[in-house]
Amino acid sequence: MNSLKYRQEGLLSLIKGRRIDRSDPYLESVAQCRELAMLREIAVWWRKLHVGSQCRFTARLLKRLGIFDTLVSQYFNNNATSPYIEELSLGFLSSLGAHANAVVRAVSQFEWAFHKVRAGSGDRYEVCWDRHPAKFLCALAEDGELPALEDGVLYRMTVGGDIPGLFECVRESELDTVAS
Amino acid sequence: MASVTIPNIGPRVALATTYEGDDPALLERIAPLVDAIEITPDTIARSDKKQSHLRSEVLNEYSSVGSGKRFMAHGVGLSICSADAWNDDYLGLLDELFSRLDVEWHSEHLAWTTFGGESTGTMFAPPRTEEALDLICERVARIQDRYKVPFLLEHVIQLLPEEAAQFTPAGFLNAITSRTGCGLIVDAYNLECDAHNQGLDIAAFLDELDLSVVRELHIAGGVQLNDFQLDIHSRPARNSTLHLALDIIARASNLRAVTYEFLKEAIAPLGHDAICSELVRARKAMKL
Repeated sequence: MNSLKYRQEGLLSLIKGRRIDRSDPYLESVAQCRELAMLREIAVWWRKLHVGSQCRFTARLLKRLGIFDTLVSQYFNNNATSPYIEELSLGFLSSLGAHANAVVRAVSQFEWAFHKVRAGSGDRYEVCWDRHPAKFLCALAEDGELPALEDGVLYRMTVGGDIPGLFECVRESELDTVAS
Repeated sequence: MASVTIPNIGPRVALATTYEGDDPALLERIAPLVDAIEITPDTIARSDKKQSHLRSEVLNEYSSVGSGKRFMAHGVGLSICSADAWNDDYLGLLDELFSRLDVEWHSEHLAWTTFGGESTGTMFAPPRTEEALDLICERVARIQDRYKVPFLLEHVIQLLPEEAAQFTPAGFLNAITSRTGCGLIVDAYNLECDAHNQGLDIAAFLDELDLSVVRELHIAGGVQLNDFQLDIHSRPARNSTLHLALDIIARASNLRAVTYEFLKEAIAPLGHDAICSELVRARKAMKL
């Protein structure tokens, strides 16, 4: 590796908060400087701005939960983030697919599917909700009170470009299953 | 404001500004106030399946401003100083832009923004070394072969501490332009940032720089954060920036445009009125 590549790889690691070669005096000096913290702050601020503009529902929910800043920062640090806003946003939404909070999973999966369909995907995507999705999304958009979990109820949403309004939803209840 | 001698530059220098689409009301107001519009291909692109394309609706907006308006392309994503590879995708965007509009010249930041295809999230200036110079000049030559309009490079602010350099800041730019024949954009506000953050001696920089290759001058206003002056173009230009711009205008004999830059994200907080006022102010102050 030539010196330019070595240097750039080191600086990328520093801005992403990753390990560097501590024996390199220049990289070590950058690691200790306050300018690096400033650059990191700016880089993450831009990512938050872009994710917030592209993933409006997910960002609003994460902000309500007080975890937006942390999750974007973690995503930026731990992933080979794309310079393109659309790919950055899809990657961020995908990263929430295994989140512990079921509503975070549902909203991010819905928004991911919505982006794919609007970009021309001919596929259909299924998203499961534990509460009424349309009411939930309206409440997010209007800063209203979020609908509560509905025990024993599953909303099976399908997102697809061939569906009027781009999505449809079927309510399934344990009681319905028992009855049938 | 201190008295400044305004050079008699006549009509040869155009007033330009940024427009990144999706705000036709703004375009309608700024178009009569400027001679040229700066287009940043990366910011009017949509990426899909690892390939990006210019958004046709924004290209239509540019076409709608009518004949007589000039266009310049100013990229942010080529990453011309990346040691591994520049961003080929950006060149695809330029190809598209050149096929749709008459672009008088195009430019890019002298910086790297990706490594290994991964975004750094910010712009890093290259080290001022022979190794970096060779890489940059070889790439500039490839760009000049590909596009037959002038290509310019713009210096970016330096936030991180510098390592040992083989060139001064102006000497490095001179070496690039003399080897390749490319032009330069001087950003008056960026120079002020470097003076504030790094102690750059602007007068010495301008004395050393070959100003005959400066084709475009940028003015902007930004913010201070934690005592750092940042190149987040979100404010009207300060009087000091305009004074510096006037000094450069007086000395850059081949200057063709002065561009007031602002981020798309700054439009709402600035407001259309303030942007228009800034353009009127710039034209008046610099007799453009």
